[in-house]
Amino acid sequence: MTEKGHQFLDPKVLSRLMGQPLLSRFAMEGTVSGQHKSPHRGSSVEFAEYRNYTPGDDIRRLDWRVFGRTDRFYMKEFEAETNLRCYFVLDCSASMGFTDKGESRFDFAKRMIATLAYLVIHQGDAAGLIIVGEKTVHELPARRNPAHFQNLLEVLDKAKPEGETGLMPVLHEIAEKTRRRALVAVFSDFFCDTTELLGCFQHLRFQNHDLAVFHLLDRAELDFNFDRPVRFADLESSFSLVTEPAVIREQYLQQIRKFLDLLRSGCHQFNADYRRIVTDESYEKVLADFLTERTRMASGPR
Amino acid sequence: MTFLQPFILWGLPLILLPVIIHLINRLRHRKQPWAAMRFLLSATRASTSHAKLRQFLILLFRTLAVLALILFLARPLAGGWMGWMLSPAPDVVLILLDRSASMETKISGGSTKREQALKLISQAAKQFEGATRFVLIDSATRSPQEIINAATLPELSLTTPTDTAADIPAMLQAAFNYLLENRAGSAEIWIASDLQRSNWQPEDARFKTILAQLGSLPGRSSGIRVRLLALNQPADRNSSIAVQEISRRAKGDQSELQFVLDLQRNTESSERFPIKTVLDGAEAQTELALEGQAARWRYKTDLGNRKEPGWGSFQLPADANGSDNTTFFVYGSDAPLRAIVVGDDAQTGRLLKLASSLIAKNKDAAQLVSPADFSNAKLDGQCVIFWQGALPNPADAERIRTFVDQGGVAFFFPGGKPDAQSFSGLGWGEAQTAEAEKSFRITKWDEDQGPLAKTDEGFGLPLAQTEFFRRQMLNGHKSSLAAFEDGSPFLVRQIMGRGEIYFCTSLPQKEWSTLGDGPVLVPMTQRLLQTGSKRLQQVASMNCGELSQADQQKQWTPVDSATPKNIQSQAGIYRSGDRLIAVNRPPSEDDIETLETSDAEKLFAGVSFQMLQERKKKSDALQGEIWRIILFGMLIFLVSESILILPGKIRGEENPASTKNSKREVAA
Repeated sequence: MTEKGHQFLDPKVLSRLMGQPLLSRFAMEGTVSGQHKSPHRGSSVEFAEYRNYTPGDDIRRLDWRVFGRTDRFYMKEFEAETNLRCYFVLDCSASMGFTDKGESRFDFAKRMIATLAYLVIHQGDAAGLIIVGEKTVHELPARRNPAHFQNLLEVLDKAKPEGETGLMPVLHEIAEKTRRRALVAVFSDFFCDTTELLGCFQHLRFQNHDLAVFHLLDRAELDFNFDRPVRFADLESSFSLVTEPAVIREQYLQQIRKFLDLLRSGCHQFNADYRRIVTDESYEKVLADFLTERTRMASGPR
Repeated sequence: MTFLQPFILWGLPLILLPVIIHLINRLRHRKQPWAAMRFLLSATRASTSHAKLRQFLILLFRTLAVLALILFLARPLAGGWMGWMLSPAPDVVLILLDRSASMETKISGGSTKREQALKLISQAAKQFEGATRFVLIDSATRSPQEIINAATLPELSLTTPTDTAADIPAMLQAAFNYLLENRAGSAEIWIASDLQRSNWQPEDARFKTILAQLGSLPGRSSGIRVRLLALNQPADRNSSIAVQEISRRAKGDQSELQFVLDLQRNTESSERFPIKTVLDGAEAQTELALEGQAARWRYKTDLGNRKEPGWGSFQLPADANGSDNTTFFVYGSDAPLRAIVVGDDAQTGRLLKLASSLIAKNKDAAQLVSPADFSNAKLDGQCVIFWQGALPNPADAERIRTFVDQGGVAFFFPGGKPDAQSFSGLGWGEAQTAEAEKSFRITKWDEDQGPLAKTDEGFGLPLAQTEFFRRQMLNGHKSSLAAFEDGSPFLVRQIMGRGEIYFCTSLPQKEWSTLGDGPVLVPMTQRLLQTGSKRLQQVASMNCGELSQADQQKQWTPVDSATPKNIQSQAGIYRSGDRLIAVNRPPSEDDIETLETSDAEKLFAGVSFQMLQERKKKSDALQGEIWRIILFGMLIFLVSESILILPGKIRGEENPASTKNSKREVAA
């Protein structure tokens, strides 16, 4: 793997995750047959239900055997299975580049997106990528072919964290523009107005998109363990603040806890798949947990 | 608060060290790029007063810890018993108790300074009981007495009030002698005194010697520690009375007593003093209007036909110090006053004989003898020896000395020629004659006391109008009662034993002066006879605590009181056989001047010294070393600081970072 963006992929991780399909939690509207539930009934291999014949129905789908036994017309319905369209939304504001030590959450997110996109395309579904800065920086529509994956990797490779975040208008735009149901996976630190953000999530869910929220946080942001005065320089502006961390630590932790609680409860409310990720964790484990949970949810009552 | 090592207080600015380090630390902040800025801002805004208070307290405790360290090193002394008690127990404590009359001054609370000192010392001594030996040296006896139980100090007879004066250098000497003889280990000297200057005698050379000795006592690496309990609180309202002079004067067949009394007080308001007088046991009351702080009061009382000696007292109303309100006196019998005039000059002899006869109203009041016959002359019944001419030979000089010691007066006139002899260090020099038509004039003389004092009516003697044409210089004189314009003496006085000697540098002869006219010579002679009359009387007045060794052996009975009294420590009238003595507190006890605490510190500069009380008003607080408390305080500050800097728990909820693995927050 010498091509651009391939540094985000680890063959060993991929081979271990390949056994787990990425399934949608809700019915999807695809263009081709696939392994995801469709909201439509039709001819398929998966029987769904019988219903009374109504004039106008396609008589080809009458169950003649039942008619022979009962002299009544019943329509035999099957669940449609379709492919999945998955959009990865990556926040590339400057705050995503933050790291106290080790890998930044932006790189962490890139690694996750690349791996998930590989899995999605490999299972025959379509993967798209929207990189969001102050305004949309790059948008790749959802496609299924392997060449598209390469494009996706290249776009990921080029992306750099800078400027302020324009995530919320983009999310509204995605909700509006994407007519067919899709899986929308958002990767961000969500350091923006939480109420407005939750409005975006509500909008996406209202459009019946399956929403996966990957909340990426750095360990330093959660612990706030600084032992001497620090000049904190804002990554998204020139503003800086000299403070005594010991003095404000308690308040800071209260504030961030309040924020996390609000975001989590908002996601619960709108039935979004919320995942809080600390960047010192193993991305493979994060993804494995994500896929396993999806599979478990998808194998529930259909 | 005082300090044993005050120079360490120069380190006090170091208490700013934590603040400076804090500020430097703030300046040396590191830069940290940060994403979650909005939480940081709201946390800074919402940073509660509690957090700020916590930070402030941390800084405060650090500052206080440094302060406590500096104070600890400076070895602070503070009021209160705690500091005293926390001091290590010495092997011996020598308690030097000032029992002088001035210690009977009442302080706030109703107790006297002496009682307060005893109370404080016995309280302090309790802490050392068992480990320390206590030895009392009181100002009246100055003999060291070991105390078995320090709590009983106030009940001991050696701590009762006296009318004596205290001699602090002598008490220190007694303490030193005790330490030297007993070879005590670690020792402390506790001095309880009102710092009366006359008792302390700070200029006394003994101080230096004793303190040098105390500092060099063998076997004590740390030397002797001296603690002074200074009871120098000013008295509320106090006045004192003392008889300065008393004379019995014959008025025909009758006689009267003339007194000169000194009154002193610590207020200046104008008021009327009721004064109780006692004469031979009979009480009377008189009143005196007083203005200003001090006054001299002349008082007369009629004795009628009484010929015998007697006694009496003057008593002021009760005030802050009861022991200086009474003064006692005795007076002698109505004996004739006689003088002996020794000289070769007939004119002078005649004039003096005449003057003496005028006073005594007795033609034979003065006996005229030549110097050669003096050795055979009888001195019994004589009050004054007027000696004119060359000074007496050694045998005569010894006779005169004995005469004066007994209370008589020796008055020397010049002979006009230089004299190699001397008497009591004084001798005649060259004679001087005034220029033609000019005379020597006397411009200043003591008009308050002595033979040239003003009359009872307040008239001064016409000494300034007296002309002197000749005078003879005097060798070896120190101070004079009267002096000429150029400073050379006219009249010099020396006290010797109970009596006095005088040297007059001119003669009552026409060639020498106009003294012979009488206005000066007669009253002067009269007063000399009165002064010399002490010799004839079996009565005396003395200061309490100054009884001679011979008199101490005698049996003395109090006359003024029915209750038994000790002549050595209590004022009053005492009789032993025919002899009557008035014992009064020493005049030095009326001295209102006290030693400044800074002067006291200077006195003890060579030894480890501690002023145990400096407060003027509050009396029940001593000072002691309180370094243990300061050290304890420092530990408290450090522990408090460490508790405050402990990382605090987030109350009620867990840390958002406590979840190590990613959480799944999925809709139900």
